[in-house]
Amino acid sequence: MLRKLKEFEYFAPKTIPEAISLLDQYQGKAKLFAGGTDVLIQMKQRKLIPEYLIDVKNIDGLNYLKYNTDEGLKIGAYVTHGILANSEIVQEKYTALAEGSLAVGSVQTRNRGTIVGNICTSSPSADTPPSLIAFDANIKLISIEGERVVKITDFFLNPFKNCMKENELITEIQLSDLPPNTGSAYLWLPKITALDETLVGVGLVLTLNNIEEKVCTNIRIGLGSVSPMPMRANNTEEFIKGKSIDDSVIKEAAEIASKETSPRSRAEYRKEMVSVYVKRALNKALERIK
Amino acid sequence: MDRLININLNINNEKYDLSVKPNTLLLDLLRDEIGLTGTKRGCDTGECGACTVLIDGVPVNSCIVLAVEVDGKNITTIEGLSHNGKLHPIQETFIEKGAVQCGFCTPGMILSAKALIDNNPDPTEQDIKVAIAGNLCRCTGYKKIIEAISAAAERMRRRE
Repeated sequence: MLRKLKEFEYFAPKTIPEAISLLDQYQGKAKLFAGGTDVLIQMKQRKLIPEYLIDVKNIDGLNYLKYNTDEGLKIGAYVTHGILANSEIVQEKYTALAEGSLAVGSVQTRNRGTIVGNICTSSPSADTPPSLIAFDANIKLISIEGERVVKITDFFLNPFKNCMKENELITEIQLSDLPPNTGSAYLWLPKITALDETLVGVGLVLTLNNIEEKVCTNIRIGLGSVSPMPMRANNTEEFIKGKSIDDSVIKEAAEIASKETSPRSRAEYRKEMVSVYVKRALNKALERIK
Repeated sequence: MDRLININLNINNEKYDLSVKPNTLLLDLLRDEIGLTGTKRGCDTGECGACTVLIDGVPVNSCIVLAVEVDGKNITTIEGLSHNGKLHPIQETFIEKGAVQCGFCTPGMILSAKALIDNNPDPTEQDIKVAIAGNLCRCTGYKKIIEAISAAAERMRRRE
């Protein structure tokens, strides 16, 4: 285990213009970080050797978590998993997201690590992307060339690779407001301890026409760790949409979900677990629709 | 690359004015430069929790925090828990309940417990398990640790 970090220059910009100017100036040699729970470990392992480290924590105006019915939930770049997991509004309205953040690591990890950092690392087994996919999140990016918005489903390209340019900074993750009769859940199968990788992650958002008829008017399912990048269970969604949710629909949906996945290792077991967890997530989301 | 950065820290209620290299980790600063060796190096990758310290009351893994990131913050290490030789209630119950064997996980474990109880004076067993999920112990099997934390919470409630 390499303990000492190689030397680098450290910047703590106080404004977004300062940060994007630094990113542009040191393109290819600079790395952004917030909580450091991925970046600093990668630097210790020599997977990352930046000459310049840019700390986003002091940037004015990135530390916010806001909700209103027009714009939905807006998560600033420096919001930790701990803040999301403990937020009452996130627990109540975006339950699958609170649960995803709670699944990340330990208390110590969650007190430092951010959801923006989590998606930047782009691990196929990350715990927040499935819920972000289920909530159809938008990612706001900025560079000296200007701003752009990328859908979460376009963000991940390959394991540990995403569509960010070297000089870009994520400023916000935005989730739209949800219609009535919507429930969500994130369930996951861990290896053993809280720190271990997730083997199967299911983030699910379900909307019904009403609780008597239980006809699905909207369904989005994000799956983690069962394909090269966090994926959307398109076939499963197509099957469920428009149907009245009952045990047989849930059972068949779970089987379709399993067939859509391509886990890299322990494939037979994990495909089986996808069925189990999709079934549980559907039931959980259903239970939460009041 | 040689540029030193000036930082001001409050560690266990004592002020420190230091000049550090950017690549200095908080764990190394505490142990090697300040001499507070109660905080331990375990896995060195933010998983085992042996390096746990409190930053403004919040538990973090100091092996993956840069010293320059904590300029202006209040840091609590295990050394900060006892006062004038009198042990903190959590330290008392850890000894009484037999929750210490080799002692290596103990500083981190106690700090995680302190943060839990300070925020949640009456934690359930499940609350305790979540709070210490990032503090690995190879000796005790956790049972007595959980009992000690529960007993400490009760003791602290009674003293309030």
